[in-house]
Parts: sequence; structure tokens; C-alpha cells
Amino acid sequence: MSLQAGWPLRPGAALALAAVFALAAAARPAAAAEPEAGTGPAAGAEADQAPLTVALTGKYPPFSFYDENGELAGFDVDVSRAVAGRLGRRLEIVATEWDGILAGLLSGKYDAIIGSMAITPERARQVDFSEPYYVSGAQLFVRRSDRGDLDGIAACAGRPVGVGLGETYEHYLRREHPEVEAVTYKSTVDIFQDMENDRLSGFITDKLVGAWQVKSAGRDFVPAGKLLFEERIGIPVRKDRPELLAGINAALADMQASGERDRLFEKWFGLARRRPTGMSAATVVRLLLRGFGITIGVAVASLAIGFVLAIPLGMVLNRGRGAGCRAVRAFVDFVRGTPVLIQLLFVYFGAPQVGVTLSPIASAVLTLSVSAAAYMSEIVRSGLMSVDHGQELAARALGLSGRQTFRLVVWPQAFRVAMPPLINAVVALTKDTALISVISVGEVVREAQSIISVTFQPIQYYLIVAGMFFVFTFPLMKLAGRVEARMKERGFVHD
Amino acid sequence: MIEVTGLSHAYGDGTEALRDVNVVFPRGTISAVLGESGSGKTTLLMALGRFLRVPHGRISYDETDLNDVPEAELRRKIGVVFQKLYLFPHLTVLENLALAMVHAQGRPRKEAEAAALDMLERLGIRATAESYPVRLSGGQAQRAAIARGLLLRPDYMLLDEPTSALDANTTDEFAAWLGELRSDTNFIIVTHDVLFARKVAEMGVYLSGGTVAARGPIEEIIRNVRAGRVVGEPAS
Ligand SMILES: Nc1ncnc2c1ncn2[C@@H]1O[C@H](COP(=O)(O)OP(=O)(O)OP(=O)(O)O)[C@@H](O)[C@H]1O
Ligand SMILES: [Mg+2]
Repeated sequence: MSLQAGWPLRPGAALALAAVFALAAAARPAAAAEPEAGTGPAAGAEADQAPLTVALTGKYPPFSFYDENGELAGFDVDVSRAVAGRLGRRLEIVATEWDGILAGLLSGKYDAIIGSMAITPERARQVDFSEPYYVSGAQLFVRRSDRGDLDGIAACAGRPVGVGLGETYEHYLRREHPEVEAVTYKSTVDIFQDMENDRLSGFITDKLVGAWQVKSAGRDFVPAGKLLFEERIGIPVRKDRPELLAGINAALADMQASGERDRLFEKWFGLARRRPTGMSAATVVRLLLRGFGITIGVAVASLAIGFVLAIPLGMVLNRGRGAGCRAVRAFVDFVRGTPVLIQLLFVYFGAPQVGVTLSPIASAVLTLSVSAAAYMSEIVRSGLMSVDHGQELAARALGLSGRQTFRLVVWPQAFRVAMPPLINAVVALTKDTALISVISVGEVVREAQSIISVTFQPIQYYLIVAGMFFVFTFPLMKLAGRVEARMKERGFVHD
Repeated sequence: MIEVTGLSHAYGDGTEALRDVNVVFPRGTISAVLGESGSGKTTLLMALGRFLRVPHGRISYDETDLNDVPEAELRRKIGVVFQKLYLFPHLTVLENLALAMVHAQGRPRKEAEAAALDMLERLGIRATAESYPVRLSGGQAQRAAIARGLLLRPDYMLLDEPTSALDANTTDEFAAWLGELRSDTNFIIVTHDVLFARKVAEMGVYLSGGTVAARGPIEEIIRNVRAGRVVGEPAS
């Protein structure tokens, strides 16, 4: 998301925000505003006209997110309600992806975006923005104990400072402050952990979001220095809706004048607020179990498909010569010699290029099945190889057909020999499912990450996830050991 | 009658195991294949069971070329017990014995198992029925493998060193028992145990270095061997 800026959490913060609103209001005094025909702060009678439809992402706490009851909540949601109320219109919120949010506005899918969109010249060419309803910007945060020394970005020369990967802040830092060592992270949670681990001297993020996250995580980080740059957040509407724009501006000015903005600001960013989110134990358990269900589902499906494929592949490999065998050998070597992570990304992003768009789960099952088939075919091959050729001779001598010989004599022996390594492959491939979180499959690792983004307790939850995997794999490993011992007893495997 | 004409065989590594072997195994007799270790006895047996490709020479069963006999018929007609036995390690002795009766011959499992237990009883290894092969002594395993082959009642039965792991007493019992079965089955027995051969067989062939050094009535062969009149190739 592009703008994110931070309001200070110091006692003066609310005042500063109020000042911004005052500016906005001054630009267009409430009394002078001419709302859409027949609407206005006092026009309650018009509630039956078309609703005001407003877009936001629902993925940007504390501005918009789904609360514990699955309801949309946040600062932007409250501002939307207040604006709609003042326009005398019913509010309808459309949650949409950030990527297409402007295109949706231009095509008339909704009236306005109240989704923390920064006012930029490029955007202002396509749409009309209201006066800013808040101002944020890039802010350096440091540990409270360091704030004496690190009083601004200049003091961080030669020190590691964390930034989100690919965010504006990273580019800003590299451009404006190359003397600072920029360290990129995928999420704030990781940044917090490395602040804790003393790997970072500070981090840069949106001032408001950062302050909220620091508070949520209960960390002792404070803003240091002034905003590195400022972003003004407005409400865009289509250029052909000047009356709507005027109405929104009037509503914002009225919110300022009535003190409602200050109340909303205090509600979401004020010091008095208790820790804003957090998650109930029941929700955590539900999310983790659902995620683990998907993990096991993907693992079982991939392993089953992989095993079924591995039998004929293993038989072809066991022939040891011929074009088919060389082709299978090349396939197996390639799959085994490349990282599963890359295979996943390749299938997920590559398949649509050739016209096959697979869901994340389908991509995951496809990739992991292929990987399982490659590893298991090798195991099947060595199982088949371990069966004395004489067994086949004896079976044929007894009059068993080729198929019966394989099914009743060769395969049962090969399978028993292959069993312990197969179980180990099952364990390894089950663990590989942790990788599929990268292609947005909501398995247990991803669920844990989303829990962590709210609870800010990475170590605890990663430990729990590790435990869940272990509870599943440990009995399998035990079983492998037991099967192997039994095979030795029966004279299949010799040490 | 099995007729072998001009049979030669060389293994992939160049070992010439058989050279121009000519021999006849008539019906109604028990024949012994004798010869010292490495003389080609097992190789001959494998050729008779069509487990080897033999480009040189001809083998015929009751006048039909071995290569023309359909696989299923061939296996019904000719049973083989290998020198290395090849019991199936994943099955109990009883399951080993019943497997082909049930799956190749389509006999009901109950009946097959009853017949198998009967056979085990006669061979004195009834107690091993539920054991896995790895637990058997050499002699027990040998008898189990012979039982497995004989239960299918083939017309011809090829046995490779069936007594190598048996003690003298058990060998005698086995010999007596073969005598009872000979009216139904034509045995060709590879052995280096001259006493045993003499007890059970009437015809014999003596291999030496892959060639036939002697053939004919068993007594005659044994006499010639004892008298040093049958000499192998210097190399063997
Ligand atoms: N698979 C094989 N590959 C190469 N050479 C082999 C193979 N099997 C047997 N031979 C060789 O062929 C020759 C004949 O072997 P064969 O097994 O027929 O002898 P044998 O008379 O049965 O001996 P034994 O009494 O020891 O069982 C030997 O020189 C042996 O080394
Ligand atoms: Mg031999």
C-alpha cells in the first residue's frame, strides 16, 4: 500500500492530526459546501436514495481489517461511516484488491475509495482527490533506550536499518541515505524480531501503521526524528462527480469541526487504547487446525499421486536401458536436483503463461506429486533391484503369469524393502508442504504467519507449528524403524 | 521324451558352459545328470526349462521343439526345483506351497493348503508350515522347495541338487519316496551324489567341462567313472 504514514503517539499527536483536519476544513468551510442535491448533514429523509459505495482492501490494519467476528473494522471504515452519515446515504463497503482498486473506481464499480490512498500527481491526473483526511509518512523507529544517540536518520550512518522489501522506504533510503545500511524484510514481524535480537539499530515504516504495530506487539520502540517524507491521504472520486467531491469535503470539514475525527483518531491511535487486536485462543486453535488440515490434505494427496506414478517409473528405471529409461532418468534427476521451492514458483507462475491457470492448491499438489514421484521412483527402483532375479525364475517355473509374478512375488518383496525409505520420503515430503505458503496456500505455516502478524509472537507460534509437524512425522519415523527391523527378521534386508 | 541335440551355451562373459551336448531323457525313467562342479549341469537344466536363450542346438519335448511350446503349457508340463531353491521370503512355507496351486492352477485355497500340509507331513517338515523361509535349516528349505514343485504334479520334473543339504537318512527316505512318484512324473535329477543317483536313477549322463563324457545306464556310467575311464577336459 502506498501511503502509510505515522501519527505520533505522543500526547501531542491528536493535536497534530486535528491541525491537519483544520487545514483541510479551512480550505473548504463546511457552510460553503454544497452537497449533492438534496443531501447534507441534516437531510436524514434521503436515506432511501442510492447507497454510497466505498472501496477499501480490508487488509490494512488498523485502517481496514476484519475483526475477530469477521466484520470490517478500522479507521478508514469509521471514516466511511461518518462521511456516508453526513451525506445522508446508506453506506455500502466493497472490499477489493489494492491492485485494481483505482480501475474499479474509474469503471464506476463504486463511488469513492476510502482506503488510505496517498495523493500523488499521477493519480490526481486520473481522479479527483478530496482534501486530505489524514497525513502520514515514513518514520524511523528505534529502541527507547537508544533514542538519546539515534535521534534521526543521520545518526544511523553505517548502522543496519530494517525496511520492508520493495517498499518505497527501501528505495528512499538507498537514494537519499546511502550511508545507512538498508536491510530488507518481508514483514514487520521479522523486523521486530531482529530489533529484539539486536541485529537492527532501527527500522523505517509508515508512522501510523508502525506506531500501531509497535503498540500491538507491546514493544518498546519509539519514533526518532521527523517524518522522512510526508504522504497526504485523500478520498478519490471520478472526475465527473464534482458534487460528490464537494459533499465529501463538506463532510470531512464537519467531522473536523464537530470533533469526531479526533475521537476516531483517539480510538485507533490514541494512547488510552488497550492493545488493539490480539486473537482469542479459540481463533488461534481454529486457524492452526484448519491450516494443518490443508497441510495434511495436500501432503496425502501429493504422496498418493506420487506413489502411484512412482511404481511404473521405478519399473522403467529398473530396466536400466532403453530410451524410456533414459527419459525417466533425466526427469528424475532434474526434479531431484532442483529446489522444490523453485518448482513451486515455476508451476504457479509459469502455468498461466501456457494458458493453464491453476489454483494455489492445485499448483501445490501438482508440484509436490511430481517431486514425490521422482524421489519415490528411485526408491521403488532400488526395491525392485534388491529382489533376486531367481525369485522371478522360480515364480515362472511354478507357472505364474508375468503379471502374477510381479504382483504376488516381486512387488511384495520390493515393497517391503522400499518401505522404510518410502516412509522417510513421506516424512521429507510432508515437511516440504511448509514451502507452499509462498504460493498463498492457506496451510499451517501461512496461518501461523497471519496469527503472528496480529500477535507478534513468532517464536511461540513457529514452535507450535513445528510441534504439529512433529506429532505427525514422529510416529511415521518410528514406524519406519519398526518395519526395517521386521524386514531384517524376515531376511529381506541385511545389514 | 526329452531330446537334446547339438546344444551349446556361452554366458555373457564368454564362459562356454555347454559344448555340443547330445542326450536323450526317455519317459518312464529317472535320469541323473552327473559331473563335477562347474561342468555345466545347472546350465543344462536351465536350458531344459527354457530359462536360457540357446541359439545353438535344439531341445524337443515329446517331439515338439521347446521353442514352440506355449509358455503356459510348458510350465504346466515341466516343473523345476532350482539349486538355490528360491523360496519366497515374504510368504510362509505353507503360503509358498499353495501360491501356484491357487493362482496358476486355480485350485481352491482350502484344498491347496490341505494338499500342501499333506506333502509337508510326508517330507517330515509339517512343523515348519507357518515359518518364514529365513527360519528354515538348509535341509528343511530344500524339502519345502521340492514340495512346492511336486505339488503341481508336472509331467517332467527337473531337480537341481535336491539332496545337497540332506543327511544320509533323509536322503534315503527321499529316494524311496521318489520311487513312489515315478509312475506319474519323469524326473531328471542333477546331482553329484553318486550313491543317491545309483539308488534312484536308471539312466545317466556325465558332463565334463561342458561336454558329455558318458551317457547310458547309470551303473555303467558309475563303473566307468570309478575306473577313471571317464575323464573330463583337462581344463575342468
Ligand atoms: N550366470 C553365469 N554367468 C557366467 N558364467 C556362469 C554363469 N553361471 C554359470 N557360469 C559358469 O558356467 C560354468 C557351468 O556352470 P554350472 O552352474 O552349469 O555348473 P554346475 O555343473 O551346475 O556346477 P555345480 O555342481 O557347482 O552346481 C561354470 O564355469 C560357471 O562358472
Ligand atoms: Mg549347479
